[in-house]
Amino acid sequence: MTFGNFIRKARERRLADDSRFSLRQVAQRIDVEPAYLSKVEREEVAPPSEATIVRLARELDEDADLLLAMAGKISGDLAEIIRKRPRLFAQLIRELKTMPDHAILRLVREVRDGDW
Amino acid sequence: MITLENDRLVFSFPEVHDDARLDITFQRTLRIPDDDRTYPLPPGLGCFPLRHVDDFGARVPEDWRPRGGVMLPMFQSEALWISFGRRSGYPFAMKVATGKINAVDGKRWVNGLAREPQNYMAVPPQPWLDGYCIEKGVIRQFVAMPLGDGYTAEEQITGEAEHGGIQIVAYPMKRARYEDLQRRERSRLRSVKLSVGFEECAPAAMGLAPGGRMRQHIYDDEHGLDAWDQANGSRCFVAIANSLSWRAITGEALPSLPPTARDYAKAKLPWFDYYAESPAVDGASALQNLLSVVGIGKKKRETPLPENESADASVVVPLGPAKPGPRPVREAMLE
Repeated sequence: MTFGNFIRKARERRLADDSRFSLRQVAQRIDVEPAYLSKVEREEVAPPSEATIVRLARELDEDADLLLAMAGKISGDLAEIIRKRPRLFAQLIRELKTMPDHAILRLVREVRDGDW
Repeated sequence: MITLENDRLVFSFPEVHDDARLDITFQRTLRIPDDDRTYPLPPGLGCFPLRHVDDFGARVPEDWRPRGGVMLPMFQSEALWISFGRRSGYPFAMKVATGKINAVDGKRWVNGLAREPQNYMAVPPQPWLDGYCIEKGVIRQFVAMPLGDGYTAEEQITGEAEHGGIQIVAYPMKRARYEDLQRRERSRLRSVKLSVGFEECAPAAMGLAPGGRMRQHIYDDEHGLDAWDQANGSRCFVAIANSLSWRAITGEALPSLPPTARDYAKAKLPWFDYYAESPAVDGASALQNLLSVVGIGKKKRETPLPENESADASVVVPLGPAKPGPRPVREAMLE
């Protein structure tokens, strides 16, 4: 799914239960013009800046990294992490690219429960 | 399975249901005055950083290593609250203890869930937990104190300073019950549509102690014990490092200090009250009998909370599902 389509559907899902998720009100809360957000949703303009996408993700309770990836962007903190050790992270990402999600999560982030 | 994602503990149970995911964060906050007044909810001031204990090998205290889990940093006498965020709406039963003393029923840690008294929280409706359930509708705030000085709930109840930290277990709702709940919810929707004195020289391990009084309900579980899939729980030990040991272990700086409750209130920044229609459980007598940090300090002729002046929480924002209108968030943005 494309970025604009995804956020439009996410917003409209919330709008079904809560009128605060109208285009106009969401645009106000993330500090953009309603016409601009409408164009973003209809993909008539390029996705907004990282800061706006992060605000939008928070507003719609969606994952900011996911939205940034859909917009073809990478968050500033991730870019900084890669810039510090570019070869290591490039190698790591290439080696992990075919592993299933659950295997990556177990490898990288699973919290071990020990003896207590 | 529990994973650590951007300072959130993510509990997921793909073996039960794809929707069975729950995010937990540990929120920095004001320490409310420990003055026997009952305060509204203080704000969230951002997440505490979380790190895997296993990532730091020999740099963590030896007794932390076998426990696994994660760790977070706190200044002495700093407060926190635990946020139960749900991405999917899947219901969970959550049990929380500090120093292996259950924060809801005041008893020592046991495996599994119990009713009469209820020893867990149903999420939803429980959105967060700020402290120990001492009375119906009142908690005493979680406040970090060094383990071994006699302030923590663990030491007051067991007489020992053995565990410290926070212990959490989550049980998802049984798949069949969830699907039944979803069917009923869809049908319902269709019909509708139509702080702070900080000390830097303390021992490494910290525990949580009861601080000031706050209005907060621990909601009665309306689903019943049978709704929860106790065969599929996941649990986590959250160790608490003091500021010096956090820097020594991780090399990272701590988040900035929160303001005192009095300064926050003077600036007319918002406090919160949560409105839900669900009935609440009674306080636990073991927790009601705990002395607060200031109470213990008086007995020991110490001043454990040097900046403990009362605050006038005059700006109170209502939150929650039973409150009509727009839904503000329990957060404050500080410059």
